[in-house]
Amino acid sequence: MRLNRSLLFVLLLAAGCATRPKETLPQTPRSFPADGLITQRAVLTARGRQFTLNGYLSLSATGGKRLIITENFGNVLADVLVKSDGAVHVMRSSQAFRQKWIERYVAADLECIFGDAAEGNCPVRMISPTHFVIDRFWYDLDLQIVEIKPGPQPSTMFDATAVKP
Amino acid sequence: MKKLVVPLAMISLAALAVAADSALQPVSNPGPILDDLQRKMSSLRSVHLEFTQERHLKLFTEPLKSEGVMLMERPNQIRWETTAPYQSILLGNDKSVAQFERTDGQWKKLKLGFPEMLKRVMEQMSLMHQGKVDALTRDFTVSVATGAVAVVTLVPKDKSVREMLASLEIRMQPDLSATREVVMNEPSGEFTKIIFRRERRDVKFPPGTFDQTKPTDIAAVKAAAGNAP
Repeated sequence: MRLNRSLLFVLLLAAGCATRPKETLPQTPRSFPADGLITQRAVLTARGRQFTLNGYLSLSATGGKRLIITENFGNVLADVLVKSDGAVHVMRSSQAFRQKWIERYVAADLECIFGDAAEGNCPVRMISPTHFVIDRFWYDLDLQIVEIKPGPQPSTMFDATAVKP
Repeated sequence: MKKLVVPLAMISLAALAVAADSALQPVSNPGPILDDLQRKMSSLRSVHLEFTQERHLKLFTEPLKSEGVMLMERPNQIRWETTAPYQSILLGNDKSVAQFERTDGQWKKLKLGFPEMLKRVMEQMSLMHQGKVDALTRDFTVSVATGAVAVVTLVPKDKSVREMLASLEIRMQPDLSATREVVMNEPSGEFTKIIFRRERRDVKFPPGTFDQTKPTDIAAVKAAAGNAP
């Protein structure tokens, strides 16, 4: 599909060049349910071009975080599990989001907003409790939380040994 | 008892679904049906449809849903607007496409990464909903089955596309008078289903409905659609 090939090209450009955050900004405490499903809508800007993404984040107090990223019409671009101990497992990658990129940047951005890494090297600004901007050298991610459904998520979500979809 | 009833009900529903599909008869020569479809749709000047998009992923016990509105006006205007859980507008015609996102109460026009690619997708959507399925034969193998519903199935000819999209099904009323659902099947068994409802035909859309600089608010569009047949 030409659309996907072209999309991946730009994203790969961004991925290959994303090296370091511009700066670390002071963080504001934020609150998310320990267990729940958080739906996000994001605009990724790379080299002046913009792409919309949907994110579905399952949270478990004991299991960790599982994030699935799709494009407008539902294709899965990335699927990553970050365990409670911080271990990162890429469950699904795509030509648009390669494994290394997911490990290095998607997981890091996930921890910056939803994890305990807020005090670390996080180039994230909280515009409001549901609106965040991640500003890296080669890409910006404008992320809005559009829905939060508290409640336990299936335990299989957080099993890194489960068969990958 | 309740524990027994729920699985039984689910099995019954599943059986009904299987029965409905198994009752479908493949059509050996889809040409006349596709001609009929195009003829029926050719009189449409415009259409307003509401939709629910369901993303069925194996990991989730329930589909991930979004809601929105699709508008089309001949000869080539299309607007695909997601209204929940986020707000986004895609606009396309034969010359250009545009996308708007609503952030903090403001619409922002995006600098699209690959406008040509998005334009192509929008064109294909427009062709499908105008019944011009024969125009898609360059990219897809087309087959038809009829029964309780009429199903036009499009299988991508390009192998690399089939690795992402196994097939695309357009499910219509048996008399081909309206589209009920579009299902995008992936090789993994996961799929996206778009369910259409509240179809309004020959709507006189307000000025700016398809404007790629400042599109008219969807509330005004819906009000106009409410007056259509």
